[in-house]
Amino acid sequence: MRFFNRTDSVVSLAALALLAAVPLLTSDNYVLGILITAICYAIWAGSWDLLSGLTGRENFGHSLFIGAGAYAAAYLNTAYGIDLGWGIVVAPLVSGTLGALIGLPTLRLQGPYFALATLVASAIAHTLCLLLWRVTGGEEGLSGILPMAGSQSDYYYLVLTIGFVSIAAMKLFALSDAGLVLRAIGSDEAICRAAAIDVDAYKITTFAFSAAFAGLGGALFAGYQLTAAPDLLSSGLSITIVVMAYVGGMGTIYGPAVAALFLALIVEYLRGFGEYRLLVYGLILLVVVRLTRHGFVDPFWRWLKGRLA
Amino acid sequence: MAEILLYGAASSASYALMAVGFTLVFGVARVLNLAHGAFYACGAYAMYGFCAAFGAAPAIAVLAAIAVLAAVGAIVNRFFVEPLRARPMAVLMSTLALSIVAEQTLLITFGSQSRNIPLILDGPVSLLGVRIGAQGLLLIAVAIVVIGALWLFLHKAKLGKAIYATSQDPVGAQLVGIRTSTVFAVVFAVSAAMAALSAAIVGPMQTVSPEMGLMPMIKAFSVVIVGGLGSIGGSIAAALLLGYSETIVSYLVSTEWAQIVSLVAVFVTLVVRPSGLFGK
Amino acid sequence: MQKTRIKLAIGVFAALSSSVALAQTSDKPVKIGIATAIQLDRGKDTVSAAQMAADEINAAGGLAGRKIELVVADEGKTTNEGVGAINKLISEKVDVVVGGYNSGITLAQLPHLSRAKTIYLGVGASAPAIQDMVEKNYAAYKYIFRVNPLSSIDISKSIGDFIVGKVYGERGFKKVAIVAENAKWARDMIEPAAEIAKAAGVEIVFEEYFDPATPDFAPLFSKVAKSGAQYMIPMLAATPSDLFVKQWYDMAVPVEMGGVDTGSLDADFFQRIGGKSLSETAINYITRAPLTAKTIPWWDEFVSRFGREPQFTAPGAYDAVHVYADAVKRAGSFASDAVVSALENTRHTGVRGTITFDKRHDLVAGPGLVNALWIQWQEGGRRVVIWPKDLATGPMISAPWLKKP
Repeated sequence: MRFFNRTDSVVSLAALALLAAVPLLTSDNYVLGILITAICYAIWAGSWDLLSGLTGRENFGHSLFIGAGAYAAAYLNTAYGIDLGWGIVVAPLVSGTLGALIGLPTLRLQGPYFALATLVASAIAHTLCLLLWRVTGGEEGLSGILPMAGSQSDYYYLVLTIGFVSIAAMKLFALSDAGLVLRAIGSDEAICRAAAIDVDAYKITTFAFSAAFAGLGGALFAGYQLTAAPDLLSSGLSITIVVMAYVGGMGTIYGPAVAALFLALIVEYLRGFGEYRLLVYGLILLVVVRLTRHGFVDPFWRWLKGRLA
Repeated sequence: MAEILLYGAASSASYALMAVGFTLVFGVARVLNLAHGAFYACGAYAMYGFCAAFGAAPAIAVLAAIAVLAAVGAIVNRFFVEPLRARPMAVLMSTLALSIVAEQTLLITFGSQSRNIPLILDGPVSLLGVRIGAQGLLLIAVAIVVIGALWLFLHKAKLGKAIYATSQDPVGAQLVGIRTSTVFAVVFAVSAAMAALSAAIVGPMQTVSPEMGLMPMIKAFSVVIVGGLGSIGGSIAAALLLGYSETIVSYLVSTEWAQIVSLVAVFVTLVVRPSGLFGK
Repeated sequence: MQKTRIKLAIGVFAALSSSVALAQTSDKPVKIGIATAIQLDRGKDTVSAAQMAADEINAAGGLAGRKIELVVADEGKTTNEGVGAINKLISEKVDVVVGGYNSGITLAQLPHLSRAKTIYLGVGASAPAIQDMVEKNYAAYKYIFRVNPLSSIDISKSIGDFIVGKVYGERGFKKVAIVAENAKWARDMIEPAAEIAKAAGVEIVFEEYFDPATPDFAPLFSKVAKSGAQYMIPMLAATPSDLFVKQWYDMAVPVEMGGVDTGSLDADFFQRIGGKSLSETAINYITRAPLTAKTIPWWDEFVSRFGREPQFTAPGAYDAVHVYADAVKRAGSFASDAVVSALENTRHTGVRGTITFDKRHDLVAGPGLVNALWIQWQEGGRRVVIWPKDLATGPMISAPWLKKP
């Protein structure tokens, strides 16, 4: 089993320390709020990469799992008064189960078909959320979630810790033998089957984990926003995450996570551009796609490490 | 039930026009063009521009919009698809980024408010005892003529046959001297032109707004998957299937459930028979 | 004698220090935060109208001698952007937040506003759930007020009233159809209205919900016509009104219509769809009519200054800024708790009517206060108030294809 190499570990811990120091420098809820949102995006992008980056099966409906986790936690809290802490524990179980269920019929699809199937699955989920308004609150969503005990800074530390541990765990998985098998499946599934590898079991299990982490992030996000709204199930969110993973470098886990962190911060920073915000975002994306081969973050980091050595 | 017959036909016609262009690009150039919705929206706004700025008659504005979008299609292929051909994911991202930029540009230029483009044929008409807008009948007629013409082109005309050959085997086509780059440009141009045509005829009966391309594109996806990626015959069959299913559900159940029909149809197709009705 | 002198000294000291405190802050501007969807016209008008009010107050010497400054934050279309907007405004230390349009986003913003004890004057969202929070937890949510529009409950009563008084009472239509987008707000609004109508003997012969993304309403209109309904009440917010109304006109559906149609509130609606909204009636909160003495002069000034007619959020935003300024003056302080108490006692005549709040801090509807207006598009794009009777500016017309020769 491979572990992280030294430079990666040191830099990761340094980044963690930096993020942990933020609440000591400011108690501004706005700043903490942006960072919490960015960390959630990092969890979502990293979890997306766990399946789609390693096996090359692009999931265009990741928001389904995010929304499922968020709504699970929100529903337990608003309908049954169950503390958010439990919601955060239950959410990944719900999403993970959904991941396995949806993976069963869809993971055997090739090429663009898997992408379209997942896109449609999340569109169906979004529509059902609006149709079943009695349970989900319809277009208004479930609001009035009772926050966890403690201040915004305390919650920030919780999110930061869970985020860091999750991404580290996913990276460990990617580096492990199981991760290698998944990459092999991504390259040539037929040969893997011929080598008596239970390809389906690997894919479905990984999809379940990918979905579970996404749901965990969703519940954390709902706990910050104190609302679960249908826009967490939108195809816009799914596509945003795919873009972040692409910019980060698919298959590296940390690349998408870091890219997500930065892109979430950049979009918030672009508030200054007023109504031009999304246009600038689209142009940046166009440039990155045109000029880079394997995304931006991962190649950049490798280059940097090469220079430092 | 003459009503279901006519209303369903109108729905199917608009879906068919969007889907055929999309499946053409996939079948021939192997590109999942996420900017197809942007072609649709830009087509409608182009027509709006010609009517509002130059006071053009609706029919002329439609032709002008088609011409403009055909050029746009070729340009998109040349600068945003061709250079990235080796990496399908990059092409997908590129078309996606383009659609974001297009929608935002339309939003900033024209504002979020809906616009209106004029009908070529105004007024209700009574056919088979059914009250239907005259433009709806025009849509059905245009769809039949245009798709029919496209089919003839692909099977009889020299360039058309070259396109058809490329879709079967790109390498083989090149070996017999077909310029695939020209083929791809033409296919993108035709696809964009058909999207613009659809928008120009359907738009007056609906509305023109910057995000108007999203739903038609998702419908086009649904039709193309159910029909089979790359099959024009499949797209036509699936367009009829989905268009009529929605109309029938609207009548017999409720308009509330009509839109989910195509989504469910897609999911079922992918799970049961991913290659669709007539796919390879 | 000693004690009195001490008391006097303390009194003088207190007066001096509070005026010093006010004076020390007098060069700092009063920051009014505007949270709205700035890409939409409704958002732009919220900002413009608030600016108008701020300019008026500043020209008259400011608020307690301080200039008013607007800080705008984009709510966007998602709860995430909305919550971010509120947190941004709070971090910029605004004194009050004015804005809102989407009930879902507003609901998500409330806990964040409450935590920061920032006063919020809503100008666009109508969900009762927003003001329910004030009742459920006064201490935490007392900062939340709704200045515009009327809550769904009042709108619902108005719909029932319109059906009974106008549709049935004056036009004699006993059979009514209700067609609504399948949204929670619509379902909440229809129930009480239907009860009122049924109690007066009106028959609801058809009721159906539809997906806002529906591209073709021909099947629905056909079913409505076949049901024998004589009048149709649509409920539209997310549905593109242009599409719905154009199709209704083009098909010459033999059923007149009027109801909640948010898209038709745009001033250029009639003209941009080629006049096809002729005879459509919709509930509105403002029009160029003498609702109060201020209405018409305000309307004309808005048009001349911004070159477009105001959307329904505009009068709300304008009135909200004045209501806030008025409350601060009466409270003699900018402290949230003091201003909240003063706001509760508001009785301000703005451009839509006289604004007062109930114990849920919700706008109160009624004669002499603020009313929902039923406005019909008539020839040439004129908007005529046809209901309530005491505010009507003209008679109701029929759909052009249904006029008896």
